[in-house]
Amino acid sequence: CSLGYGGSKPDILWSPHHVDRYVICDSELSLYRIESLGSTEAKAGVIQLSEETAATLLAINSDTPYMKCVAWYPKHEPECLLAVGQANGRVVLTSLGQSHNSKCKELMGKEFVPKHARQCNTLSWNPADSNWLAAGLDKHRADFSVLIWDISSKYAPEATVPPEKIRLPSGDADVGTVVTKPLYELGQNDACLSLCWLPRDQKLLLAGMHRNLAIFDLRNTSQKMFVNTKAIQGVTVDPFFHDRVASFFEGQVAIWDLRKFEKPVLTLSEQPKPLTKVAWCPTRAGLLATLTRDSNVVRLYDMQHAPTPIGDETEPTIIERSVQPCESFISSFAWHPSAQNRMVVVSPNRAMTDFTVFERISLAWSSTSSLMWACGRHLYDCAEERTGSEAAVESDIATKMRARAQSRYGHDTVQVWRNYVLAGGDDPQLKSLWYTLHYILPFQCPYLTLDQEQKQQGNKQTVVYSGIKNIVKSSSGTTESRRSWSDSDRQGDVVRYHSEERSLALRLCGWIGRGPDVDVEPFLRSLEQEGEWERAAAVALFNLDIRRAIQILNKGASSEKGDLNLNVVAMALSGHTDEKSSLWREMCSSLRLQLRSPYLRASFAFLTSEPGAYDGVLYESRVAVRDRVAFACMFLSDTQLSRYIDKLTNEMKEAGNLEGILLTGLTKDGVDLMESYVDRTGDVQTASFCMLKGSPGEVVKDPRVQCWIENYRNLLDAWRFWHKRAEFDIHRSKLDPSSKPLAQVFVSCNFCGKSISYSCSAMPHQGRSFSQYGVSGSPTKSKVTSCPGCRKPLPRCALCLMNMGTPVSSCPGTGKSDEKVDLSKDKKLAQFNNWFTWCHNCRHGGHAGHMLSWFRDHTECPVSACTCKCMQLDTTGNLVPSDTT
Amino acid sequence: MELHILEHSLKVASIAKEGIQICTHGLIKLAFLPSKTRCKFFSLTETPEDYTIIVDEEGFKELPESEHLSVAEATWLALNVVSGGGSSSSSQPIGVTKIAKSVIAPLADHNISVFMLSTYQTDFILVRERDLPMVMHTLSSEFTLLRVVNGETVAANSLGVSNGFVKPKMVQRPIIHPLSSPSNMFCVTSLNPDTLPTVATLLMDVMFYSSGVKEPGTATEDSGHIRFFSFSLIEGYISLVMDEQTTRRFPNNVLFTSASGELWKMVRIGGQPLGFDECGIVAQISEPLATADIPAYYISTFKFDHALVPEENIQSVIGALRTNESTGK
Repeated sequence: CSLGYGGSKPDILWSPHHVDRYVICDSELSLYRIESLGSTEAKAGVIQLSEETAATLLAINSDTPYMKCVAWYPKHEPECLLAVGQANGRVVLTSLGQSHNSKCKELMGKEFVPKHARQCNTLSWNPADSNWLAAGLDKHRADFSVLIWDISSKYAPEATVPPEKIRLPSGDADVGTVVTKPLYELGQNDACLSLCWLPRDQKLLLAGMHRNLAIFDLRNTSQKMFVNTKAIQGVTVDPFFHDRVASFFEGQVAIWDLRKFEKPVLTLSEQPKPLTKVAWCPTRAGLLATLTRDSNVVRLYDMQHAPTPIGDETEPTIIERSVQPCESFISSFAWHPSAQNRMVVVSPNRAMTDFTVFERISLAWSSTSSLMWACGRHLYDCAEERTGSEAAVESDIATKMRARAQSRYGHDTVQVWRNYVLAGGDDPQLKSLWYTLHYILPFQCPYLTLDQEQKQQGNKQTVVYSGIKNIVKSSSGTTESRRSWSDSDRQGDVVRYHSEERSLALRLCGWIGRGPDVDVEPFLRSLEQEGEWERAAAVALFNLDIRRAIQILNKGASSEKGDLNLNVVAMALSGHTDEKSSLWREMCSSLRLQLRSPYLRASFAFLTSEPGAYDGVLYESRVAVRDRVAFACMFLSDTQLSRYIDKLTNEMKEAGNLEGILLTGLTKDGVDLMESYVDRTGDVQTASFCMLKGSPGEVVKDPRVQCWIENYRNLLDAWRFWHKRAEFDIHRSKLDPSSKPLAQVFVSCNFCGKSISYSCSAMPHQGRSFSQYGVSGSPTKSKVTSCPGCRKPLPRCALCLMNMGTPVSSCPGTGKSDEKVDLSKDKKLAQFNNWFTWCHNCRHGGHAGHMLSWFRDHTECPVSACTCKCMQLDTTGNLVPSDTT
Repeated sequence: MELHILEHSLKVASIAKEGIQICTHGLIKLAFLPSKTRCKFFSLTETPEDYTIIVDEEGFKELPESEHLSVAEATWLALNVVSGGGSSSSSQPIGVTKIAKSVIAPLADHNISVFMLSTYQTDFILVRERDLPMVMHTLSSEFTLLRVVNGETVAANSLGVSNGFVKPKMVQRPIIHPLSSPSNMFCVTSLNPDTLPTVATLLMDVMFYSSGVKEPGTATEDSGHIRFFSFSLIEGYISLVMDEQTTRRFPNNVLFTSASGELWKMVRIGGQPLGFDECGIVAQISEPLATADIPAYYISTFKFDHALVPEENIQSVIGALRTNESTGK
């Protein structure tokens, strides 16, 4: 410490080893013990320092007047030995609250006296040899300002000085305790304001001299390294980075790198008031605390992330903040030697506060659903709870996507609807989406050429593909028919509309099958199978078959886990009458709203509504969109229908409801809808798979779609689902050939420089042609081990010493018949194990399989005398995919 | 070795004894209330003839204009030798002796007039500002020249001018002024600036009322005693030169004393006021002392020069100087 206590502003020192002790020094020395509050609450004389801690005064020492600086003995024993630097330059050893152990007793009261009196500014114990105590003094014309005392030295009068010349003041009767001969004397005709030993070497001492910082090397005292600067106060070495030193002048702190000592590597923002203390935190790397005069805050500078050494160009990243431990001004502070970020501050009236600087919290999401944050030395991992409450809390979309990726969601291109099952089978919107795609894709997927029907419907292809909205727009030649209930002979007053487009729409809604057959019966049966009794009854009713509807309800009531109320509903249905003013109608239209099932509500709405006014059905929002649309196609006139479809489409787009894809198809409208869906859910996976099936030109090229696809690929990469990502890329390149990446790597011959795969293949070097230059699994003559261009041998594998090579069989056109059976068995001509691989650093390499197995047990390159740590240079080399199949 | 050219622009002035009262307000402010002025360099030396004041331009503003105040016309710069490196044999002689051959003699050879002020902490060599180019030229071979600018030391540009400077005349330097040696012994000491307020009244008494109070037993100058007291406050450091009797008036533990408690005797140079233009006076005294390896302090005042040598060496000093005395005296 370099503060003077003349103004009696208290300073504080923490015991270097006994972490519950500290000393307050002003005009006297007071030793305190700090404890947790619980254990000391009852006792008197306890000073509370914080909510949890309190201090007890153990001892006071007022033997040493004119104190200028104090330094605590750095070793464990003797426990509380202090060196006090006085105003006249003398250094006195003293102690506090000490049991009289012999070693300490001998040292106690020992004085170290400079030749010429002047103020002692600073003291520093050597951390390695604790007998060495460096004292920094003010200037004297002929004397030295840095004196290194050996506290174990015995007093011995200098033989060269005649006894009569020694005119010690008469007070020093006990000359046996006075030492006048320092071990080293440095800095003649200069002043020393601050000192610290450098941890690099026991004999290196850094001193803030009158106008420069100097490093004295005691191995050669005639030389010093120095730099002229004003910042010479309070030199202190970063305990975590021994080349980093802080010093200050007035309001400015300079940070030095001893390896680049010419100028400060950085200076911290200048404070308006002069600094009084600067101290590195001993428990946290790169944290510097500073205090200015008449201030109630401690200013902290976090240099943890500042590069060391700091380059000339880079702007150092220093996080500055202030903490206010107490209301009053702070006279001094001391970091706790081991408790993390803890300090005690003392105010001018000696009030003390125990304070812990809260660490900034940094937080990181993992690519899976866990969260991690760090605070100080603690690391917290927060993972999603997968037990019990699963039903209550819907899992995060990322978790869902991850699970779906693992179940190969999106990859079933034959039974497209099954993707809904792969997605977990519990999301009605996904169900609607995949059924929609299932119904419309056979019309537009060019590679499903086996579907003969698609050819028949070829002319409709573009229309279908663009969704029901566009289909009904193009509708022409609509015919009306008055239909009556199937059990009634009367000419009914229900008007049904027909057209080719309306039939197509019904087909897309899944109500009727393909072909000329317009029977709804298969659909009803499938609904019965799934136990959707109400829905089936409603559909039957909409097809004007009230008897079938009743039959369905009866069946539902008698089924396993059936609802007997369905019979009641059937009873109500059977009372249906066309009488406009019947009691039945009156009751049905008022009571239907109390029904729980939306389909039953819609059914009674249909039965009780005036012809052509079906709002009760059309705007029953819990009825599936496809059923409402199918209903609309049957019972709305062209103008009504198109208005209704437009309205519904906009509703769906706004809500991002995937059921709306039925209306929009895979068009720009569909992308708009999907955009709101992704905005709402973040489900880029569904968006990618769905939109990939759209037309490559219009939909897939949409930047939004490309963005979803890229994000989904990045997600897969982040999850280390590399195989899944590759599968996705293959799937994508089938649907969108333009997405195939160009070959990025070629193997060229050392001698002629030509790509060695040229001769094997006439096809252009695009796509995944890497397999073209592998070798077959067995060393047969089918392997070409020389460059096809110049016939020079290809490099040898560093491990098996065989020439690497390309299989002849991979060339198109060469006979495959005489090849080994195992080749044809798995179509892979080049196993990954036989691929060429090499280190970009040392350029050694070999077969991929050999290299992989070598680096499982070794870190260095297999080539003798090559010390390249090839695998460690590959940042992803040690990662393994988490979706190993 | 480094030679620091300090940034203070100094004035040297003399206050007649009878005029001291009109200056005391300013002098007390300069000596005891440093925070009330922007003065960084202040020295007051009382001799039987007058008070000599050395003060920087900021401090000079505190002094009134008066017929009792005479000011040397030049502006002075202070030079300070810093023994860079730890070249440290503890037997090295201190004070002007150390720099006699390296600084003082070469300057004398180049006819550069110097004004010396030794303090407890160091020696200041004052040269006229207009002589600085010549000083730098003369000393650049021996020293690393550094200039202090805003408290920071920077390399001083050597002016690179060598033409037009007179060739040094390497001549013997006989002592041409009469010497005297008063009988009282002196202490060169200092005190902690924090304790200055506690002894301020005593210091004021010593500084300004010395002529009025005759302590019993204090002999007059006729009996060989001389009235001599010097106080300086330079860059925060206090230095005091006073005779042994005066030190006894201070409380214990206030004044810094050296471990060996050494005492010094004075050699006073000059019969007539020396003026500021004559060169080589310091060199005449310091060279023989350096040859004999005798440490010394040297304090120039407005009228005369004063050298302080260890009491036990006074006879050999007188002897050494006598042999150098000019025969023409």
